[in-house]
Amino acid sequence: MDILIYGIVNSFSLALMAIGFTLVYGISRLPNFAHGALYVITGFGVWWFIHKLHLNYALSIILALVLMGLIGAGVYRFVLIRVRGMATSEIIATYALGLAILEFLRWRGFKGMTYTLPVFMEGSIQLAGVPIDLQRIIVIGIGIVVISFMWLFTHYNKIGLALRGMAQDEHAAMMLGIDSDWMAIIAMAIGSILAGLSAIVLLPLGNIVVEAGYNVLILSIAVCIVGGLGSWVGAILAAFMIGFVQILTVRYIQSHFHMVVALLAIILTLILRPSGLFGRQKELEERV
Amino acid sequence: MKKKWFVVWMVTFFVILSIPTLFPSEKANAQGKPIVIGSPLATAFLYGWDAERAIKLAVEEINAKGGVTVSKEKRPFKVEVMDTRDLEPVVPVNDALLVVEKLILEKNADFIVGGPVRSEAALAAMDLLSKYKKVSILTTGALTPAYHKRIEAEYEKFKYCFRISGEVGWMVSGEFIPCLMGIKEKFGLNKLFIMVQDVAHARAGGDIVAKIAGEKGWEIVGKEIYPTGTTDYSVGLLKAKEGKAQVILIWMDMPETAILLKQWYDMKIPALPFGTIIAAAEQPGFWKATEGKGEYCMASVVNAGNAPSKATPWTMKFVEAYQKKYGLEPEGYGTSSSYMAVYVLKDAIERAGKLDSDAVVSALEKTDLMGVYGRIRFNPKNHQIIPSVDPNEGAVGTIFQWQAGKRVVVFPPKIAMGEIKLPPWMKK
Repeated sequence: MDILIYGIVNSFSLALMAIGFTLVYGISRLPNFAHGALYVITGFGVWWFIHKLHLNYALSIILALVLMGLIGAGVYRFVLIRVRGMATSEIIATYALGLAILEFLRWRGFKGMTYTLPVFMEGSIQLAGVPIDLQRIIVIGIGIVVISFMWLFTHYNKIGLALRGMAQDEHAAMMLGIDSDWMAIIAMAIGSILAGLSAIVLLPLGNIVVEAGYNVLILSIAVCIVGGLGSWVGAILAAFMIGFVQILTVRYIQSHFHMVVALLAIILTLILRPSGLFGRQKELEERV
Repeated sequence: MKKKWFVVWMVTFFVILSIPTLFPSEKANAQGKPIVIGSPLATAFLYGWDAERAIKLAVEEINAKGGVTVSKEKRPFKVEVMDTRDLEPVVPVNDALLVVEKLILEKNADFIVGGPVRSEAALAAMDLLSKYKKVSILTTGALTPAYHKRIEAEYEKFKYCFRISGEVGWMVSGEFIPCLMGIKEKFGLNKLFIMVQDVAHARAGGDIVAKIAGEKGWEIVGKEIYPTGTTDYSVGLLKAKEGKAQVILIWMDMPETAILLKQWYDMKIPALPFGTIIAAAEQPGFWKATEGKGEYCMASVVNAGNAPSKATPWTMKFVEAYQKKYGLEPEGYGTSSSYMAVYVLKDAIERAGKLDSDAVVSALEKTDLMGVYGRIRFNPKNHQIIPSVDPNEGAVGTIFQWQAGKRVVVFPPKIAMGEIKLPPWMKK
């Protein structure tokens, strides 16, 4: 039972971490390697609003998410627009940006374990005899809400439909009057807000450390590669696969190999099915 | 009128000129060419930044009192700190070595005090120190017995290396096991679950504890090894609970261990957390960071003085000086030892009368002074500080327990400030 409960928690954690990354790639074909840095900066942002500006928790969260949206949009408008279409340059630019953010935080003294966010609800319960704290239950709840919202948004909202249109066929979408750059800006903003949201939900479980940025990026990449780059349904399925395999590994093999699971998943996917479970990027090439 | 203004301006001018003599600076006290201390430290981590702060505090104190007497000349200390990043995941050992070399060649360090912090990096740096004949006092991080064993095995080559902090062998046999036996005797507990980080000192430490504790009547009900940076310990904790563990022995130097303690509290695991090395719980900020969920967690800070106690008359003086300068108590392993290393180096240089490496090595081998954590002496064969549970005999360690927001020293008995308590959900 503990495998089921903690497997679900772990899977939703991974899904929350990765959904922003895969959304941006799926829509604008931009690999946002600053994703992990945005995750960390949100955590420190909320902490700063609470402890330095003495704002209440809810307002701090809203402000941080708005800020993330603006940063995401700004990154596209001022950095990525100049290298759009050059895949290697896009990766280098976003990775460098992420690195700069993380190292800037370290340089400014954001280190150690004094940076923590309060949990949304204190306490723990027993689920079928397995103890679990309420914050982890909230992770599951918010995970379901975010996934449902993203599905509704991309299926019933005009902007969401335009985003899907861009993802399916950029040229056809542009012929119908959809502005490619605006859609990319919106995608980057939403992707960054989702990175921030995952930080806000997951960071109260531990403490805010700069190194988390690198871990989040690796896990997001693993989830997206296994699920198929750009397919957020694939990403969610991949999050569940990796999440459960990680918990099974800890349970029956050794905690030691926990992180190996994600890296092994990347390698195996790239060897066996480079487009991932639901990716269509190289599907034709693979069939040929 | 003009003459009056001239006098006013002249008086003002001389008053301004005389200000430095009214309030003498450290530099004014310590004349001569500075003696450069190079400190390779992982400054983003506790064992790095606390060492940096302590070294700077000692240097400031020494310089304020006139500096170091080399022959007949008074010379100040100067610290050059560089970040080795060796406690970060995936940073190669080679990076730390480059830092050590840079301190020696570019910063012209006369002595190395501090790290490298990670055992693997500290061991690799020994060859560099030998190549450049640089006297080094290791003060933080590395606990591997291989360090002093290498010195003993190849004395001529590695004689420039000293370690003023602890090492796993003594810590396990002289501190952790006696403390565990005390818990066994007092509370009747005998089931141990081991959680260690996937780094050399922790893996070795966990194995040694398991072996000796097993021989002393403890039943080892499980062992988990976690990669650096792990953020979820729930399954491991459930394994401990299923195995009916009564004590969880933790050996991890990563900040994420705060998460482990939070989960332990939330899941109400009926086992006492005993952090032999647990960087997160060592720091004064741990209580706030875990919102009090870390209460009852025990932690070793390796040397006395890293948490308030009355080990020697110098202990509380150091604690207060640190608190005055940085606004918080000494933070954990690496603080008091780094502070003492500077004083020990000063003492050795003054006795040697010169900065020559061989002369300072010889003087360091004859060190015998009462420091912050007891009597400071090095074993002349392997240059490891001589440990003890009595501060009058040697360097004493410290194991404390978080009780009502305070770090209460519970071991060794000679310096204990309180007794070990069990969490309420463990009481029958």
